[in-house]
Amino acid sequence: MIRLSSSQRSGLIGAALLALVLIAIGVLVTYFGSRYQIRLVYSAYVNLIVVLGLQVFMGNARITNLSHSAFMGVGAYAAALCVTPEKIKKISLPEAPWGLAEFSLDPVLAAVIAIVVTALLALFLGMFIVRLTSTGATIVTLAVLVIVHAIFLYRTDIFKGNQAFFGIPQVFDLTSVIVIAILAVVACRMFRESRWGIQLRASADDEVGAAAMGVQIYRLRLIAWVLGAVILAVAGICYAYFLGTISARPFYFNHVFLTLAMLILGGMRTVTGAVLGTFLISFGLEGVRYLETGPVFLGIDLPEALGLSGIALGAVIVLTMALRPTGIMGNREIEDLFARQKS
Amino acid sequence: MEYIIQQVLNALSFGAEYALLALGLAIVFSIMGLVNFAHGEIIAVGGYTMVAFASLSIGNPFIVMGGAVLAAMLASLTLERVAFRPVRKADPTTGLLTAFGVSIVLQNLFLLFVSPRPIAVTSLYFLDWPIEIAGIRLASLQVFEALTTIIVIVALMLFLRRTVLGLAVRAASLDFEMVRLTGIRANRVFAMAFLISGLLAGLACIFIMARRGSVDPHLGFEPVLKAFVACVVGGFGSLPGAVLGGFLLGAVEVAMLVMLPQSLGGMTDAFVFVIVALILIWRPDGILSPAVEKGDKL
Amino acid sequence: MLILQDLHVFHGPIEAVHGISLEVPQGKCISLLGPNGAGKTSTISAITGIARSTGEVRFEGRDLSRESVEARIAAGIAVSPEGRRIFSNLTVLENLTLGAALQKDAKEKARDRDHWFSLFPILAERRDQPAGTLSGGEQQMLAIARALMARPRILLLDEPSLGLAPKIVRQIFDLIASLKERGMTILLVEQNATQALKLADYAYLMSSGRIVAHGTADELGKSDRLMAELTGVA
Repeated sequence: MIRLSSSQRSGLIGAALLALVLIAIGVLVTYFGSRYQIRLVYSAYVNLIVVLGLQVFMGNARITNLSHSAFMGVGAYAAALCVTPEKIKKISLPEAPWGLAEFSLDPVLAAVIAIVVTALLALFLGMFIVRLTSTGATIVTLAVLVIVHAIFLYRTDIFKGNQAFFGIPQVFDLTSVIVIAILAVVACRMFRESRWGIQLRASADDEVGAAAMGVQIYRLRLIAWVLGAVILAVAGICYAYFLGTISARPFYFNHVFLTLAMLILGGMRTVTGAVLGTFLISFGLEGVRYLETGPVFLGIDLPEALGLSGIALGAVIVLTMALRPTGIMGNREIEDLFARQKS
Repeated sequence: MEYIIQQVLNALSFGAEYALLALGLAIVFSIMGLVNFAHGEIIAVGGYTMVAFASLSIGNPFIVMGGAVLAAMLASLTLERVAFRPVRKADPTTGLLTAFGVSIVLQNLFLLFVSPRPIAVTSLYFLDWPIEIAGIRLASLQVFEALTTIIVIVALMLFLRRTVLGLAVRAASLDFEMVRLTGIRANRVFAMAFLISGLLAGLACIFIMARRGSVDPHLGFEPVLKAFVACVVGGFGSLPGAVLGGFLLGAVEVAMLVMLPQSLGGMTDAFVFVIVALILIWRPDGILSPAVEKGDKL
Repeated sequence: MLILQDLHVFHGPIEAVHGISLEVPQGKCISLLGPNGAGKTSTISAITGIARSTGEVRFEGRDLSRESVEARIAAGIAVSPEGRRIFSNLTVLENLTLGAALQKDAKEKARDRDHWFSLFPILAERRDQPAGTLSGGEQQMLAIARALMARPRILLLDEPSLGLAPKIVRQIFDLIASLKERGMTILLVEQNATQALKLADYAYLMSSGRIVAHGTADELGKSDRLMAELTGVA
């Protein structure tokens, strides 16, 4: 029997509460939702996994990461390359080098390989990134995003660039992504409440002080970074396994901004914040998108307004930063809302 | 030989543009630790101002250029007032994310109220004609660009060394509170930094527009991405570093264009970023970064 | 001239000074003494408006407690802060120029500068050096000279002797004495009570955010309590 500290115990309780919410939304949409709504909720769950992967590093090390969508893309493409049947690859990737079109694996093995590849890449890049000061690290993550995207676009013989990479077996449904999202929530919470997580957060508050206490900041940052990348790879795999086709565009700036806004709104310091922000923005944007198409509202024919969702997204970020920089949740996790106020 | 000289001039003109933008980023960063991702949209404001003049059929190039620069300066000042003042005392992450948000809002405002598609602006083509000096062919635009950058750097240096407000901007990068204790109003120092930043973006806008001939909501995005890189390489917050980083980046980029085989053309940016990452691994704080104490600041 | 009335000073949620009152009359040198953490620097920060405070800061009959930092400086308060805080990336001359930021007349500024240079010849010698290359004592002189360039009506000196060698400390106190002779109103914050009491017309003793004793230098010098507070030896 593993003994848990009190913060880990409350972490498990919090994760269980969040899991209930995730299951409830899933059940509701499965029984009452249309096909379109199920798809919408599925993508919200994939984004949730991305935001969780982002939270592990950003929330604990407090360094802004802009490369998360790239890691998601690496995971998605790696899995897609492994799992897609040879017959399809022969057609879609006739010039693939290194015998990439000559094999196919079962989805589980492909996912494992994709996760390992992403983790190794993250480990390699992370060794440099964690040593930089906060602004420098952020810019380098930006560089990673640009480089990875350029490779996706350039190596059309492997990734097909902006064209669809199709033929990925659609082995996932809403239930699978909910299960995975719950696992990710648990992983993030347990990391946050672990000794590593606590030390990392302490070092973000006071780098010199934590170092003086013997906290190995770089090592802790690297652990969080790689764990985050693993979760991001999983998100990419979920994305690919549900849709069956992927392309490079969804793994670039727009997605970076979207998921960043989610984490910021909810509050990057907590896992609860990540969950809350993801759902608020996912569903809120759906409303804004409806307005964008220029609907007839209360008898008034509204004009088409492309860009409205972008404005809303940006405004959410700016207002959150100005009014409540730690996001809606601040430093509170879900179980703190139920706990009695400490005096 | 001629080829080499031409490429060196190319590198200088690329570098000049990056240096202008990087300086604008660095001056704001140096006093308030803000990584201003919305800098690119300031450039776009300049571009759309040119469109506005064209639609009013005002073709006088000096009005067009002056108007664009003025609009960029005003936009920069406005952003300081509206968006960045609330996060002035916040940590760098908060500021960076705010700037991100502002950038997204502005890009989508252009998209919503103007057009998602590029709009042609032809009024600045006259700046660009081929000239030949001592047997070397070059574009007049490159010469203008290099000259402007030199003049701007000299003027900025004079301002920062000779005027009280300039001294205050420099001092503020070290100890803002102490600057206030000399009685200089903090708001004036911030306004000045953003005004200069806007001016530099406006000037860069002229050259970008003269070369591209069109404006779209993402006009400023890529140049500013490069300018960030220049800042980081030079040492964020260091003004000489920004200039050095800008020219270095220009040189690396031209070298990549010249040396990479045609088939790898699409990868130029990726290679540039790889080199930048390598420089940062060699010097994590940039080449000319100002010394930062990590200890308690009292 | 400067009157503090029931001043409470806060650092975030923490109250560092719990309602002190003191007075600095025109042309006098008043000393604020006390051990580390007594709230002396917090008091200075409240006078300049850097720290949040409640209560009254009255300067020449005017209530400044709601004014901005800049307005208070413009009213004639200048400070040589704890830790000197010279602009180390600027030259000595540039530091002085910034000190006179609110002075309009260029000729007067130049005259002031030359005047203080004659009083601090070492600064004149190093006028074009980056201030960061100066020694601790020189930096302290620069910090005081920078404050004086503002032509203040009152000078706040926060721990001018901190971290300096005894010989330099004596120089600094001689300097303060000569400023006092010229009629400058001074509020001197010090841990070095022996030196400060030699100069001060009147002194207040702070401990844990409160004023625990006050009196003329003679009165306080004889007090055992003062010595105990300051030296930590009962």
